[in-house]
Amino acid sequence: MKPALVKQKGTLTAAVIGTGQISEEHLKYLRDHNDIFLSAVCDLSPAMAKFAAERYGAEKAYTEYRKMLEDLKPQVVHVLTPPHTHVGIIRDCLEAGAHVIVEKPIAPTHEDFEKLWSLARQKERLLIEDHNYLFNDPILKIKGLVSKGVLGEVKEVEVRMVLHVREKGSRYADLNLPHPSHQLPAGVIHEFITHLCSLALHFMPKQERYNEKGFDRITAVWNNHGGGELFKYDDLDAIVIDQGVHTRLRFSSSTWPECFTVAVRGTKGSACTDLFQPYLHIELPRKIKQLTPVLNQWALGWHLVKRSGRNFLDKLQQGTSYEGLSRFLQGTYRALKDGSNPPVTFEDMDRVSRMIDALVAQGRGE
Amino acid sequence: MKLLITGSSGFVGRYVVAEALRRGHSVRALIRPATAIADLKWTDHKNFELVRADLRSKRGLVEAVSGADAVLHLAVSQASDLYGVLAGTVVGTENLLEAMRKAKVDRIVLVSSFSVYNYIKLRTRSKLNESCAVEAEPEKRDNYCLTKLMQEDLVRAAGTEYGLRFTILRPGAIFGKGHVWTSRLGIDLSDRVWIRLGAWAKLPLSYVENCAEAVVMCTEKDEAVGKTFNVVDDETPSQRLYCRQLQRYLNPRPHIVPVAWSLVRTIARIAWFSNRLLFKGKAKVPQVLSPASVHARFKPLRYSNQSLKEVIGWRPRYSLAEALDCSFTLETAEEVDLNLKANIPMDE
Repeated sequence: MKPALVKQKGTLTAAVIGTGQISEEHLKYLRDHNDIFLSAVCDLSPAMAKFAAERYGAEKAYTEYRKMLEDLKPQVVHVLTPPHTHVGIIRDCLEAGAHVIVEKPIAPTHEDFEKLWSLARQKERLLIEDHNYLFNDPILKIKGLVSKGVLGEVKEVEVRMVLHVREKGSRYADLNLPHPSHQLPAGVIHEFITHLCSLALHFMPKQERYNEKGFDRITAVWNNHGGGELFKYDDLDAIVIDQGVHTRLRFSSSTWPECFTVAVRGTKGSACTDLFQPYLHIELPRKIKQLTPVLNQWALGWHLVKRSGRNFLDKLQQGTSYEGLSRFLQGTYRALKDGSNPPVTFEDMDRVSRMIDALVAQGRGE
Repeated sequence: MKLLITGSSGFVGRYVVAEALRRGHSVRALIRPATAIADLKWTDHKNFELVRADLRSKRGLVEAVSGADAVLHLAVSQASDLYGVLAGTVVGTENLLEAMRKAKVDRIVLVSSFSVYNYIKLRTRSKLNESCAVEAEPEKRDNYCLTKLMQEDLVRAAGTEYGLRFTILRPGAIFGKGHVWTSRLGIDLSDRVWIRLGAWAKLPLSYVENCAEAVVMCTEKDEAVGKTFNVVDDETPSQRLYCRQLQRYLNPRPHIVPVAWSLVRTIARIAWFSNRLLFKGKAKVPQVLSPASVHARFKPLRYSNQSLKEVIGWRPRYSLAEALDCSFTLETAEEVDLNLKANIPMDE
């Protein structure tokens, strides 16, 4: 356990609200960066607040976030509570003059997001939603290929997540104490949909204009294949077409194995990855046209051999798929210090929020 | 007494309920909302009351606790990840204690675990008793040890802060019907093949009915207030002997592959050193390669139940041979508890 730091001149004071599983990633970052002073952690459970404070060297532990805001006036607050509590907590943090870093989804609806954004602008505070997967190595590499034109013009994007949320023992399938995400408009899938949408939009063309729904065409089929009262939906199959780019978003809880694949296909080549078991499969035309498929397969084989060894070592060292989170936080704190652009902009959050609203509306039959 | 028992539908809990009923207490069993109770045989008992609540939520807990003379806290999380265990075991205990304070219930018996001790610091063949130090770095051991220690701390703090009268019980390896294997033996690769890590280490066994009796007796005795007791039976067979006894009951007989304790300890040391050298100690290795876990499970030690015997007058009712007979031959746990084996008449 790290002893509480003494605040140094020039450091930003940060506080964390919510000490669940994701807080571990945020708190590790705050603990390991001496230019940030972790002033407090807050959780409804005194034992959890104390545990996190001792483990990550926070100066204080609170069980009432309003009191924490009033007492300490932190410059940055990480809101890591269940999504249905975000709106009220973010509002209070902004009113207290804090910049807010919030776990996804920032708000249950686009309307709520716009209100929060408006308040953030009024208070001249940064409000930023965690889109951590955009900063994972494979995604940065694919983005690089797209930016350099290696894949040509992007024509198709596919983001597919398989999570066994219905599996016995899964926190989402717990009938004794239903997970808070069941309260979101799209239920459990809403908890993950920000990742799907942010990744898809990362590779879709920027919108010059918004039509009423935000996209040229959008079709979403929501299902509850497993049935029962607990889950609103356990399956999503959506197609979004905008400016000639076809995007497929897929969430499944019944297929095997669990994965989080992203595929980007352009006019000159394609690239795909699995963020849970990272690798990067790039298919490009080779100099000898006839050998292109074979050479691409050899390249993939060699890459998989190397990558599987590295993935094994990563797993051994307790690596997670949250590698992008520290880059996201690094960019956010840099922006707070030097006024540079934050890693996730208003436009990014706005488009994601609009896309989620449009997808959810399809589920309601609108 | 009117007893609220958490974890009532669990392996130990259902025996504790049966024992409490047998001893003439009224039982209010706290069972989670979605837990099936069809296989619980004591639900029709006139002194039995069922209350549905989940300790991870405060909802309904004050009502559940109100009117109880004492709480027997056995509930423990079955989650595999740290935060799941923290929610189920630590936050659950915190919510229970808060409800008890609000309902003015001031007596609790907490069933903790032998796993809280700092085994690596103990000398081989030394005696493990309640005065031995607990694990100093539980996070490096395992989630279970960490959360059990946090749970004990919460209960002790409540004793200091507002006079909660507590007793903490630390059972050894609890065994009984359907639960005869203990991780202190080694690795059960399958029903047919067991790898026995060590041979001569004594097993701190506690037959589930003996343990249940100790739990209920502690509730009855004021002398137990403020105390911590280890719960182990009189007979602590070696790993080798216990494996042989299990083999007699099992068909097909498992084949046992023995590995010497000195080899187990050396391999764990090499693994620890390699981890430090190659991964700066960050690698997560299986428990059988972690020195702290290996010492906790397989180190040859001696165990004492003297304190429990002296303070509350408990004696294990079943010998090891009788306990194994009960574990393998009778039809259901509830039949064992309520009707067939008990010498104490039921208060019905």
